[in-house]
Amino acid sequence: MRNFWVIVKREYLQRVRTRSFLILTLLVPGIMTVVMTLPAKLATMGKKAEHVVVVTSTPQFGEMVRQHFLSALTATDDDDESSPEANAAKPKPEDEYVIDVDSNATEAERAALRDKVTSQAIDGYLWLTDDAIASGKVTWTSRNMGGFGESSRLSAALNRVIQYERLSKNGLTTEKADELLKPVKVEAIRIERGREAKGSGGGKFLEVFIMVMLLYMAVLLYGISVMRSVLEEKTSRILEVLLSSATSTELMAGKLLGVGAVGLTQILVWVVIAGVFALPAMAMQPTLSEFQIPLGVLIAFAIFFLLGYLLYSTMYATIGAITTTEQEGQQLQFFIVIPLVLSVFMLAPVVRTPDAPAIVWLSMVPFFAPVLMYARIVVQTPPLWQIALSVVLLVGTIAGLLVLCARIYRVGILIYGKRPNLPEILKWLKYAKA
Amino acid sequence: MAPTQASIQLPSSSSTRNSGAASTVEVSSVCKAYGDFVAVDDLSLAIKPGSIYGLLGPNGAGKTSTLRMIIGIIVPDSGHITVFGEPLKPAHKDRFGYLPEERGLYKKMKVLEHLLFLGQLKGLSGAEALKRARSWCERFDLSAWTDKKVEELSKGMQQKVQFIGAVLHDPELIVMDEPFSGLDPASTVVLKNVLLELAKSGKAILLSTHGMDQAERLCHSICLVNHGHVVLQGDLAQIKAGYGSCNVQIKYDGDARFLQESRLVQSFNDYGNYVEVRLAPGADTQELLRLASAGARLSKFEVMEPSLEEIFIAAVSKPAESKPNA
Repeated sequence: MRNFWVIVKREYLQRVRTRSFLILTLLVPGIMTVVMTLPAKLATMGKKAEHVVVVTSTPQFGEMVRQHFLSALTATDDDDESSPEANAAKPKPEDEYVIDVDSNATEAERAALRDKVTSQAIDGYLWLTDDAIASGKVTWTSRNMGGFGESSRLSAALNRVIQYERLSKNGLTTEKADELLKPVKVEAIRIERGREAKGSGGGKFLEVFIMVMLLYMAVLLYGISVMRSVLEEKTSRILEVLLSSATSTELMAGKLLGVGAVGLTQILVWVVIAGVFALPAMAMQPTLSEFQIPLGVLIAFAIFFLLGYLLYSTMYATIGAITTTEQEGQQLQFFIVIPLVLSVFMLAPVVRTPDAPAIVWLSMVPFFAPVLMYARIVVQTPPLWQIALSVVLLVGTIAGLLVLCARIYRVGILIYGKRPNLPEILKWLKYAKA
Repeated sequence: MAPTQASIQLPSSSSTRNSGAASTVEVSSVCKAYGDFVAVDDLSLAIKPGSIYGLLGPNGAGKTSTLRMIIGIIVPDSGHITVFGEPLKPAHKDRFGYLPEERGLYKKMKVLEHLLFLGQLKGLSGAEALKRARSWCERFDLSAWTDKKVEELSKGMQQKVQFIGAVLHDPELIVMDEPFSGLDPASTVVLKNVLLELAKSGKAILLSTHGMDQAERLCHSICLVNHGHVVLQGDLAQIKAGYGSCNVQIKYDGDARFLQESRLVQSFNDYGNYVEVRLAPGADTQELLRLASAGARLSKFEVMEPSLEEIFIAAVSKPAESKPNA
């Protein structure tokens, strides 16, 4: 036990104190921020307000259309109740679009507008005369396909305006029209431990996806680090010195925990940085603060993330023990990435039908459990025995793999230069038994 | 070299080694094979506290495998190894120090940190390990390098660090695989003195080497191995006595016909500056001197103790009558 902690300490401190650790720890949040904000910045940078002309038969109708468009642009995507403050950060639609109303609906005016579009004096015009509405065919003319005319929100708004217009022409009051046109919205309600809980499948998927991404990143970054350090010890013969002081299981377990702790430290730093930056933003966006994760899911996240991380790192360590060079190791890395990728492929069916028998059993398989069992817990809490069984299987697999790997590690010291085949590895395991 | 030679003789007559104290290490009839290749075949040896034991032999003779079995890195196929009077177990690891043949250090670690790590693995407290590491570094002229990374050190300096790592915890058994390889002459002398000192203070030291003269100067007992077999083993002084004084070094000018006298000369080896002659059994050195001086002008005629190298070559060529002390 003493040696185990000495090794954990060395592995941890040697890595955390390197410059590359510091750079990576600080750089990733920076890059993430840039990646997340840059596209939006680029899209708005140097963008002029779009100048649009709406041609109608009467100025009153034109003004009505204008008002509807502007209010449609103000509303957020699918949440009509959101408070106006929430959109303070967004540019005002008056800045984005200049909408002129033109009631001179003649062919000469149409030609003039077309010329204006060509000469870039305006960006496009909407031909919305009574004739056009009656024929059910309204045209939007512009130089490019995107922007104003393509917005589904605008066409929805346009449809509503025209529906109002048609209804009022048939003698209905505005109130009556409102009542008839009141939209219906579907709200998803999920039964969680007997209680109703709001939240869409998309949100759940996001929770699982964050876990998978973190696991994937941690495994790739630090699993390889474990493999590399096993290889280094083997090729530089430090292993011989270490084995004269400690058992191979102490070495292996110490290494896995030490390197693992480095990865967790880094992720913790990222989470703290993300928290510091995200909290004010969340406070400003009331809709986001509704995105709450129950405590049970957080605990499940911690358990399955840690176990998954340990399992995959142990697999990397085993590869390091079997191979002699990093290139060889990278070829075998395939066997580690495959279960992870398969887990990701299985995510969609798991979120849809978390209690299908095949999915229940697959989520018990240790190599898939970190992702799939966690996904099941997020979507619909499975029976406790299933969670317990998958955890027990995971821990057992990690322990078994660790012992196996420690043996290969110890015997592998004797063989240089060539990758052992399976019978040879089995023979090694026999050697190392004593 | 004369003063050091004298100091070597001291421990051999010291009481610790000949008192019949329990051996620190006892290896009996150990065999080890890797697949079809037999690395060690029926090897037995015993190392007493306070002595330096040399395991000698050419490359691939099974020296490293033997050392690794003694410290428990690998397990023998058959035979027994006892350390400190008990079968080898992990708890013994704190009581021995091991220096591997190739350098085994973390390149990116700083020297002092590395020694601290190795010391702590052997059960030293951090403060104690640090104190001892500093004093050893001073002794080996490494004080200016303690804050440097291992990779910045020369090969010889790394070897010294490795050595310090092996003895930092004051082990009772010190096992060293080729400790002198890569050292400059000055460092060799320092290391040799340290080893003698450690032996004098009662440690058991086992070292392997293929440099026969190194072993000849340092070891009390030796074991010569070749192709996994023990060729010759026992107390160095006794082995030499057993082989008798049957070699003569001759430096001459002129007629070399005396070398062809098969009645007196069994074989000879011309080193350029001088010839080393192995006498035929029962030959008289005086007769050879007369014969040689008759035809050639002699500037040197010295009756030699057989060198270990010659003993080794003789033993390998005649394995049947090889184990005078086994």
